[in-house]
Amino acid sequence: MNVTYHEPPPPYDLSNLTVLLVEDSEYMMSLMSSMLKAFSVGDILTCKNANEAIGILTITQARKKSRFVTDVDIIVTDWLMPGGSGEELIDWVRAHEDDALRFLPIILMSAYTTEKVIAMARDHGANESLVKPLSAKSLAARICMVIDNPRPFIQAPGFFGPDRRRQEMVPSGEDRRKMRTEQIREHNEKL
Amino acid sequence: MKNSDEEEVQVFKRLNRMKIKMGREKDARPGRIDEKAIEEADAMLVALCAECPNAIGGYLSELSKNWEEMRDLPESSERQNISDVMFTTAHEIKDIGSMCGYDLTAYFAESLRDYIQHTELNMDAQRVIIQAHLDAMQVAFKENIKDDESPLAEELKKVVKIAIEKYR
Repeated sequence: MNVTYHEPPPPYDLSNLTVLLVEDSEYMMSLMSSMLKAFSVGDILTCKNANEAIGILTITQARKKSRFVTDVDIIVTDWLMPGGSGEELIDWVRAHEDDALRFLPIILMSAYTTEKVIAMARDHGANESLVKPLSAKSLAARICMVIDNPRPFIQAPGFFGPDRRRQEMVPSGEDRRKMRTEQIREHNEKL
Repeated sequence: MKNSDEEEVQVFKRLNRMKIKMGREKDARPGRIDEKAIEEADAMLVALCAECPNAIGGYLSELSKNWEEMRDLPESSERQNISDVMFTTAHEIKDIGSMCGYDLTAYFAESLRDYIQHTELNMDAQRVIIQAHLDAMQVAFKENIKDDESPLAEELKKVVKIAIEKYR
């Protein structure tokens, strides 16, 4: 059932949100930090490559009970970075034994990105991709997507990450099934 | 659920803690980020992009200087160090260029970044290919050719492609 709202939803208060920004370009880092600050994101942790990011995540996980250390809520990462790529970071996060880390939402951010890179990032377990042309609106949309529509995670041979299917496939046309799902279930239970 | 290889496939549907952390019910309708904040962020983007030509110009000068130092050096750690610096600089130009609408410069910067560390190329080949990239980037930047699909852009891409095909 579709619900129609007459009023827009109230804006999110992102002051509780902690974003880990992984970007080797100082220019892009400055740009992204400024945009996140404009969105009133509470904590913005920054580093230049996957290795530094892994260090930060390890520390925040080890000390998460301390009131001085905040958990990272979202990782926003570049793809190609000297000293540890986005691919390495995503692989490390998705293979982590601690659920608080391995289910972390990851947004790939890359300028001049090819479809191949986006597909690779998705197949390594990135939740969202933020590509050229980068804009405040597109960044806001990705953050809202991560908050509002967290996709189920799939553990399959050779893959752990958010479900790569964006939508449930609803068959179109006449329903020609001889048995409905409930009937199949009942039938199976009788067997 | 089992897939065709009879290996376990698991689906995890977790509680939406992020939504709760944002102060909403887990099933609340989708939220938004304040439009004023988005406008403010876009204004920052425009202001930073106004600095873009200066930044690209500076990086292109750095690249040329580094290439002059590297061009005739034999294989050595010194050559490798300069190559690493050029890789990073080209990567930076690619990011800034694509961010601020200098698509053609970004295109060549990305290609240069990928070629700068092709160590299987012999010295002569690398010399020609890198020089072609640097020349094309300088022309694109000085002539203010931003679009990477215009006839002029295609012409420049062709020149670089010829160098790559001939010497690869």
